[in-house]
Parts: sequence; structure tokens; C-alpha cells
Amino acid sequence: MSGTRILALTTRIMRQIVRDRRTLALVFLVPLLVMSVLYVVLTGSSGAVPRLALVRPTGTGSEALNLLIDRLLPPASRLKTMTIAADEVESVLNKGEADAALIFPTDLAAQLAHGEHPRLQLVLEGSDPTVAAAMRESVTALVRQLDVALVQAQSQRGQGQQGPVPAVNVPATSVLTLATPRYLHGGPDYTFNDALAPVFIGVFSFFFVFLLTSVAFLRERSQGTIERVLASPLRRGELVMGYVCGFTLFALVQAVVVLLFVIFVLRVHYQGNLGLVFLVAILLTVSGVNLGIFLSTFAQNEFQIIQFIPLVFGLQVLLSGIFWPVAQLPAWLQPVSYLLPLTYANEALRDVMLKGSDFAQIAPQLAALLVFMLLMIGLSAVTVRRQVA
Amino acid sequence: MAESSQTGSHSLATGAGEPLVVCEGVVKVFGKLRVLDGLNLTIGTGETFGLVGPNGSGKTTLMRMLAGLVRPTAGGVRVLGRCLPDPAVAASIGYMTQLSALYLDLTARENLRFFCSIYGLRGQERERRINEILERVELSANADRVVATFSGGMRQRLSLACALVHRPRLALLDEPTVGVDPELRRAFWDYFAQLNGEGTTIVVSTHHLDEAARCSRLGLLRFGKLLACGTPQELLAGAGTSDMETAFLYYAARGRQEEVTA
Repeated sequence: MSGTRILALTTRIMRQIVRDRRTLALVFLVPLLVMSVLYVVLTGSSGAVPRLALVRPTGTGSEALNLLIDRLLPPASRLKTMTIAADEVESVLNKGEADAALIFPTDLAAQLAHGEHPRLQLVLEGSDPTVAAAMRESVTALVRQLDVALVQAQSQRGQGQQGPVPAVNVPATSVLTLATPRYLHGGPDYTFNDALAPVFIGVFSFFFVFLLTSVAFLRERSQGTIERVLASPLRRGELVMGYVCGFTLFALVQAVVVLLFVIFVLRVHYQGNLGLVFLVAILLTVSGVNLGIFLSTFAQNEFQIIQFIPLVFGLQVLLSGIFWPVAQLPAWLQPVSYLLPLTYANEALRDVMLKGSDFAQIAPQLAALLVFMLLMIGLSAVTVRRQVA
Repeated sequence: MAESSQTGSHSLATGAGEPLVVCEGVVKVFGKLRVLDGLNLTIGTGETFGLVGPNGSGKTTLMRMLAGLVRPTAGGVRVLGRCLPDPAVAASIGYMTQLSALYLDLTARENLRFFCSIYGLRGQERERRINEILERVELSANADRVVATFSGGMRQRLSLACALVHRPRLALLDEPTVGVDPELRRAFWDYFAQLNGEGTTIVVSTHHLDEAARCSRLGLLRFGKLLACGTPQELLAGAGTSDMETAFLYYAARGRQEEVTA
């Protein structure tokens, strides 16, 4: 063990690091960037107010009931509510305008007056299990409060006082029944993993293909084989296409493996068209290959490629709606999400696998992915052309 | 695309009257650096043209330009009668880079197959040529070994094979004998002479002056210009010496003086 030799080595390594400006910048700045985003995402989720649509009672004597409901609703900062018509429930939930709908019988007042047990129906959108579970909880609490209030009003009436609430002629401790919630998508046994599994396919096809392409292309440069290839009759476009095909095939095999694992090992619920899943995977893969070629020209060695991971991957994982819906991000951060291809891929994959959406329903996401892919192809084409000085 | 390659092969076939390589007033500027500075050069069919000059004199840039990888800032480069860069000429050129540019994770045969394929060779013809060239560079016994396990000399031989396997009319060899032992170097040069006999033109750069003596013609490159150009005998006579090293120092000193007076 020689102290001088170790010191010499240490000095050399430190000198190399200091001389490598990009490494310095990335090592110090990217963690700050990712941590900042993580902080914003984790603390700024106050925008995550669940939205409940109400189908209110409208029959005679409903005014007082609606007043009571309004009084019992949690403040708007904890639950946003809106009033819709009974036939709007499915469309409002499918458009994502509300996370759940609570349907009161039209003749709630009359049913109470007749001593019946009115049935309330909760309809959950359901594709995000965490939101659905939270919604179920807060609506159950709301109905219970309403129930208590109605029972109280009845007993007050029994003592001869005239309450604001119509007569309830049932001497019971509970007057309302909340029917088993109906799920538009998914179900009560859907877990967080069910919502997470579809996005794995997108994340993996994008990430690994990006990483492998950039390293492979970097090797071409550092081994000098790119010179040979470019001196041959092979056209630049063919070079890019060769890479795209090689890695797309690879990524599709990967998508199949992930899909099989997700369905048969993790036993995740899924429905929908597998062809669309692969279409999304192909669009993402081609983007990933071209982004890899493009970014590899900014790296001198494999280590610098690794430094791109937090930038390319870290940000997308945080902002593309994998763990938190994009709608829950602070408003100023949401436009950033919509610049990232994984946001669209995640939406499309979830729509297909959880809701069984068809081609037309995910067409906007596919279009966004296509635009991103063309942009990446353009960048890598410019990059490859630049190899000829 | 099809049309341009057709007219390409047509004019390539009729280019018999013109020298294979013509450089006229070639200038290449990288940033502030004038790597080539008004270079004039012609190379005829079937000769071995040696490029000699110190490191950084522009040898590799000239090679890359002849390979169509670098565009001249000014002046013109014609190969096989066509202005470069031209994809139609690419198929007739073989380029051996200074690094032994090979895919280390592939076998020798797989490397040759890849380079053959991007030059459009396929099927039995491809396999026949691969076996032939493997025989010639004496790698047949190791053809199916992964290149990462090859010694420096073996890599250099495979690199040469990759540049020649598609039988180019113009072979650009950038320091092909770096790190090659004397015995193998001799074998390389015997092979070059054989290729000349078959009509292949070779442009080769070297630092070995004994190799320079084996070229049909030599160019001394310095300051981005050809300081001297001719057969080895002509260069020796012009410098009034019988020693190649003395001759080069003489021309280099003369070039430096011209630089100062200019």
C-alpha cells in the first residue's frame, strides 16, 4: 500500500472531475432540480381536492333538504361539489370533471315523509384507486352526517318543535341507506398497483431503449466504428432506421414480458385492446431511440450518459402522472407535464388497460406521442448529419 | 436515389482518363485552425500513395475528406471523377481508421458480415469474400472468436480486412501498421503490392520511413500543404541524400523557411 501512489491517483481523478464541467454541473444541479420538483409535488398536492357531483332531490319539499345537504358538505377546500342532472352522471365522470357522483332520489322528501328508507347511490369513476377510496370514505361520512341530522330533526319534531326539515315518520336510528357504490371503471378490489401496472410498460420501453441506444451510439463514436459506417454507402436515414428497428423490436419483446408479468404474476386487472398497448409502446420506443442518439452526442463516455438519467427519467417519473395525477400538481407545473411524452403514454395506457378505451378515445394522446416522436427523429437526424463536418 | 447511383456507376466506369483522386486548392478550417491550406494532389490508378508528416499535419483530415466524411471549406476533391462527398463513390472506397474501429462484442466473422452487408454484399458471395479475406489476413482459425479477446495485431489485421472485404477501388489506410510487429508489417506491405497489381489504389499514411520507401509515390504533408511530392527516388535526389529521414528533415526545414518568408 503506497500513500504516494494513492494520492497521485486521487489527485488525477479529482483533476479529471474538475476538468469535466458537464459532470460537475449535472452532479450538483440535477439533484437540486429533482429534489425541488419532488418537494413541490409532495407538498403542493393541496390542489388535490376531490370533486363530487351531486344529483340532488328535486321533488316537492326538497328545498330544505338541499339546504341541509349544503350545510353538511365539507368546505370547498376539501371537497369540490357541483350539481348535475341524473342523466349526466356517466358523461361528467368519463370526461374527468368529477371523481364521483352521489345520486339522491328525486323524491327524497316524499320518501322520508312516507317513512321509507331512501336509497342513495354513489358512482365512482374508479380508475385511480386512491381517489376512489378517499371519495368513498368522505361520501360515506357525509351520508352518515345527513342521516344523523334527519334522525335528530325527527326526534325534535317528536318533542313538538318545528324544525326546518320535513317530517320523518320513522322511529328509527337510521333513515338513509347508501347502496353499494357503483364503479364506472375498476372496482373496489382495484389497488394502487392496478393503476401503476399499465404505466410500467411505457416507462420501461422508453427508459431502457433510451439508455441502451445512447450507450450503443456513444460506443460507435468512441470505438470509431461510426466513421466506417458513415464512409460506407449506408445513408444517414438508414443508420437511424437501423437503430430504431433494432431497439423497437427489442422494446416490443420487453413490453410483452412486462405485460405477461403484470397480468399473470402480479395478477393485475386489465381490459382493453393489446394492440393499442403495443402501439403506444412503439411510439415511445422510437422516441426513446432517437432521444438516445441525440443526447449521446453530448456525452463523451458512459458515465456522462448515466448523468442524463435523472434529467430524462427522474423528471418524467415525477411529473407524468405515475404516482400523482397530473391534475393534482400545482397549476404552474402542469404545463411541464404536458411537454413530456410519458404523460401522454401513461394516460393512454391507463385508459386502454383500466377503462378499455378504444383507438378513437386515446387518439389525442397518440397524436401527442406522434408529434414528440417526429420531433425526436428530427433532432437525431440533425445530430447524425453533423457527424460530417 | 436509384437514378443518382446509376449515373454514378456510369461516370465511374468512364473515369479511366482522369487520375483516381484529384484535390484542387483544398482548404479545411476547423474553428480557427487551418488544417488543410490549399492542398493540390493527384493520385493515379493502381499506385500506393504514401502520406507522411508529423502528428497534426492534416493526414487524417485528408483521409477523412477522401472518405467523404469531411467537406472541404474551399477547393474541390474528386474521386473517380465525382465531386465529394458523393454517396455514389462510397461503395468504391474502403476506409481503415486509425483506431481499429471494430465491434468488440462481435466475432471477427460477424464484424466482416456487418461491413459487407452495409456495402450491399449478401448471400454466398458475401461468405466467399469473407472466407477469402480471413485467409489472406490469416485469421481463419480465429474467425469465430469475439474481437474483445483479440491481440492488438489481430485487431489490426481484422480492421484491414473490414476495409478491403468489399474490394474497393480506392483503399484509404490511416496508419495501418501502428502497433504491428515487423514481420506482420512486411506481410501488410506485400499484400498492398498485390492489391496494386489487382488495380486497387491505396492511400496510406505512416510514420515508418522504411514503409515510405515502399510507396510508389510519397507526399510530405506539413502546415496543411504538400511540401514535397514524388517517388521516393525523386525525393531523395531532390534533397541530395540517400537517407529518407534526412530527406524529410530537409523538406520540413525548407517548408518552415517558406512559411517564415511568406
